Order: sequence, then C-alpha cells, then structure tokens
Amino acid sequence: MWRQHRYKIALTLLLLQAALVLAFQLGEVKPWASIDWLDILGEGIVLLVALCWLTLIVTSRPAGHITEWLYYGSLLLVCSFTLDLLDEFLRYPAHLRTMSWLESLPAPLGMLALTYGLVGWHREQRIINRQLQGRELFLRDHRLLDPLTQLYGLDYLYAVLKREIELHREQQQPLSLLMLGIDQFSAFNRQHGMAAGDQYLVQLAELLSSQLRSSDVLCRYAGDRFVVLLVNTRQREADIMAQHLQQQLTLLDSSEQQLSLSITSQQVNHAEAATVLARAEQQLLAVKRKSQAYQLQPD
Amino acid sequence: MLPGAFNLSDKNLLLRHGVTDLLQLAQRRGANLHKLLHGTQIFEQDLSLAESRCHHRDWLTLVARSQQLASPELPFILADSLLHNKHSSLCQSLPLAANLATSLRQLYYFRHQLLPGIFVLLRKTDSHLSIVLKPAVQLGAQQAFIIKLAMAFLVRLVQLGTQRADELNIQLKQTAPAHLAHFNSHWPCPARFSQPLDALHIPLSLWYQPFITRQAAGFRDLSRACYQLNSRLPPQRGLLELIQRQLYRALPQQASLEQLASYLGLSSSSLKRLLQQQDTHFAALADDLRCDLANLLLLQSRLSNRQLASELGYSDEHNFRRAFKRWTGHVPSSVRLW
Repeated sequence: MWRQHRYKIALTLLLLQAALVLAFQLGEVKPWASIDWLDILGEGIVLLVALCWLTLIVTSRPAGHITEWLYYGSLLLVCSFTLDLLDEFLRYPAHLRTMSWLESLPAPLGMLALTYGLVGWHREQRIINRQLQGRELFLRDHRLLDPLTQLYGLDYLYAVLKREIELHREQQQPLSLLMLGIDQFSAFNRQHGMAAGDQYLVQLAELLSSQLRSSDVLCRYAGDRFVVLLVNTRQREADIMAQHLQQQLTLLDSSEQQLSLSITSQQVNHAEAATVLARAEQQLLAVKRKSQAYQLQPD
Repeated sequence: MLPGAFNLSDKNLLLRHGVTDLLQLAQRRGANLHKLLHGTQIFEQDLSLAESRCHHRDWLTLVARSQQLASPELPFILADSLLHNKHSSLCQSLPLAANLATSLRQLYYFRHQLLPGIFVLLRKTDSHLSIVLKPAVQLGAQQAFIIKLAMAFLVRLVQLGTQRADELNIQLKQTAPAHLAHFNSHWPCPARFSQPLDALHIPLSLWYQPFITRQAAGFRDLSRACYQLNSRLPPQRGLLELIQRQLYRALPQQASLEQLASYLGLSSSSLKRLLQQQDTHFAALADDLRCDLANLLLLQSRLSNRQLASELGYSDEHNFRRAFKRWTGHVPSSVRLW
C-alpha cells in the first residue's frame, strides 16, 4: 500500500528536515542542566504516537481524498510536535516569534483536517458496511475470516448462530439455516488440481453472497461446505431460497466441468448451535449419498 | 554426521515434493511469498527448478509461518495436494497399486522421498493393522501439524483406492479442537483426541481389497522412477527413527545407550551429543517407545500386566505398572479396550 504514497513519504521527510534545519539555524542549544527530561518524555511520546498514526495511514489506506485529509492532518500534527520537542533542547532569541507560531499554528489546523478526514472515513465505512451485508451480522472480527474465500469461518458462525437463536426465540420469529456442499469436490480437485479447486471455492463464495438478501449471512463451514443463516425465514421460504441458489449455480461456468451442489434446509428449533449444525451435517451427508447413488445408477 | 541419517540442516527435501505445494496453498490464502521465504535458504528462483532442495529446518519454518494464516483446513488440503502432486512419482504411483498392502509398502519403502520427518511402527492383530506415527527428527511445535498431514494423506489414499475410509479409526495425541467440522468434512472416519498415541487402525479386510484406481503398468513405470530418484535422494532416516526402531527390534531386551551407539558406529558421548542437539536424551526416547507400545498392546489385546511387562523387557509387572503410571498418570487396567 505504501508504494501508492511515495511522494507523501518524501514530503514528510523533507518537511521534517526543513524544520530541523530552521530550528538549528535560529536557536542555540540549551545548557545541559536546564533541560527538563520529564517534558521531553511526555512530548516525545506524543510525537511517537503521531508518527504511528502517519505510518498506519500511509501503509493501510488506498489513495483517495479521505486519505489525503487524514494524511495532511497528521502530518501537521507531526510537524508541530517535532518543533515542540526541539524547543526543549534549543533556546530561540526572544524577539523572534517565527518558531513559536510554527509550533502552535499547525496543531489545531492538523486536528481540524484530521477530524474532517475521520468524518469522511465514517461515511465511507457506512457504504462499505452496505457492501458487506450478506457477509456479516452483528459481529465484526477480521481474525475470524477464512483467508481463502474472505467469508467468515466456523468460529464466527457459532458466535452469530448462538445469538440469533436467542434473539429469534425472544421475538418468536422463525430462523432457518441452509447447509451447502459441493458434490464430488475431491474428484474435481484430483482432476483439475488444488489451484482450480481453490479458485472454484472463491468464485462460489462470491456468487452465493451476491444472491443473498442483505439480512442473511454466508459463512464458510469447512472444506467444501458453506452455511447460510436466513433470519426471519420459514422453512418454506428457505426451500425456495435453496432452489434459487441451485439455479444460479449454472452461472458459474468452471470451463471443464459443471459441479453440482447439495443443499439442505432446516428451520432452527433447537437451542444449541452445535446440535443444529450437527443435524445439518447429517442431513447433508444423507442428501449427498442419495445423489451419489442416483448418479451411479445406469440410465 | 552419521551415515544413513540426516540432520535438520541436510538438504534432503525436494522442493517439488510438497514444499511448493505448501507455498502455493499459503499464497492463495493471502500469505506473501517473500515473507514466507524470508530468512530461509530457499530463494524464489529455486521454486521453478526441478532439482532444488531444502533442509528440514526450513521446512519447519515454512510450516510454522503458514499456520499463522488461521486456516485450519491447511493440513488436510496439503495432504490432498501432495497425493495429487504431479512431480512426485511416489505420490502418483500410490493410487495405482494393486491394493492397500502394496500401496502402503511402496510408501513405507520410499517414505524419505515424501515426509522423512515421520516414521511408523506397525503392529498387526487378528482384525486390524495399526500404524503408529512418530517424529523421526525433532519437529517441535510443528509436530501436531505434520502428524495431521501424514494422517490425512493416509486417509485420503485409503478413500481413493477403496472408498471405504469410513472403516478406519484414528487416534490423535492433540487435544480436541473447539469445533470438529474440519475433521468431519475431510475424514469420513471418527477421530479421537487427547489419546496416548498418534495411530491409524486399518481393518485387515481393506488390506487386500483391489484398488479401484489400480493400474499395473503405470505402477511399474512410476516405481522405476522412484528407484531412479533413490540414486539422487538416497534413503536417509532421522536419528530418532534409527534409535527407536533399533530399540523396538531389540525387545524384549532393553538395549542400552552403549549398545545403540556401537550399532550406529558412534561413541556413547557423540550419540549423547547428537541427541542433545535434538532436545532429547536416550532414556526419554526409550520411555516414549515403550509407552506407545504398551498403549497399543493394551488397546489391541487382553494381555495381563505380567505379559506386557515381559513383552516390553521389564523384570516384573510391578516395575511395568509403576513405569506406566509415570508415563500416563494412570494405571494400565484403566486403558480402554476397543
């Protein structure tokens, strides 16, 4: 990410260097005895934190106007704090006000710019949240993401399912759950290689999440299995949803071979997340066996 | 160094026999190749060369780094990836064997071409063949991953050849994960956790059932390629394997450090030093082996403590009982038969 911001890094370094040169030109070094080390510790930590912010912005944000505001805001803070720290070591002539202006003016301006940037960031996040609907419910924790499909994984599913079961029970709303498994996925992997298999999982995850309502959530369960949590949904609607997903699968052209999905649906009646998922697993296994037996039958 | 043995810095792993598979899987899960390889002796340009090798220490580093990806499916799919590896004649040949017996014999004979860090103890009863997996060199924190990898490889091979992997039985030393979904979706058979040994139990009925994927000519050609590879990648074993297998052979005699050292052509002090390099010592290895065997025997048969003691080279059953309690924290009679 930082490669997008090369000129910003250069500008930062240039500005800090200019501040140093100016300060040493104008001021003279204080005698050792009159340096207040406690002040230096406090101001040093403030400067370090501001530098951390600047680094985080440069390394994590893509280019764009919100990034500019955040960057220039924290750059002004860094400059101000640097001069603040320097004046603990240097004494400026009393008639020269330049340095004290340079010290105190950029800080409030920087704060304003940073705040404006943060407001923009807040707006941006609202839009991103809308984009993420269908991929997450009340909880956000990037450590629970499956690194391959970028869907949430097993631990997230358990956390969300537990809460949704309680909520739906309180409000007496139906909650349904779909479990999807790819048929003969290991044979596909064997024939086309693991890279093709991984690619297929990623595509399938994208296709499925694009087909869901904004209130639903799709998680990667394990291996070739996915789970969809359908809030406020009865079994019948869940079945229709399952059929719809089956039909949409034809959109996914895996060039060499068309894979099929087994889907089971259930309305969640049990209080334990683990029991619900174990039941879904058993159902899925039964459906898979049936479809396998069907495929093996001669025409 | 010992002839016939490798140590952690011998370059005895072909990159194409698994290392590149791991790197590719990790990269598709968001890992950065540069960061994965940082500090190892593997360079990016080596990855495309057929004959590039790495040593065991680097392999363990890569395993450790890819475990940081929080992708619990990794050992399972790496096993699949190995079994389908187009560069390894050994992996290609395994499903083409006539039956499981031939296939596993082939794997056992050429195991240094695939996972030299693991060795196995075999024990047969009337109904089952038990394969106990053990580290052949010190695997450290990566042991659980590598054992899972080897186990998943065997399960997948049985499933591919016989479609009857649901009849297998797996014991793992590692504690049970919070959710079993990954094990359930990759293994059709039950796995038990927090067990005294890492073992796979195969019913003998599977042993000679013809493989669905068998192909005599293909198997012959690929076996020839494996033999040819042996000239460039000679069979070398890990030190822990050499010692524990010799201890196993010597039973019911309890071989001493001096006997082992002279068998390996070393002085006792150099053997001690070599073991120290792998963070272990002779008594620990001997105990570990006897503990595994005692547990295995207890699972498989109704031997009395006296019989077990004489099988394992103890002078009487009290000594055995005391040793067993020291290893496992409970008495032999509390171990469940199946």
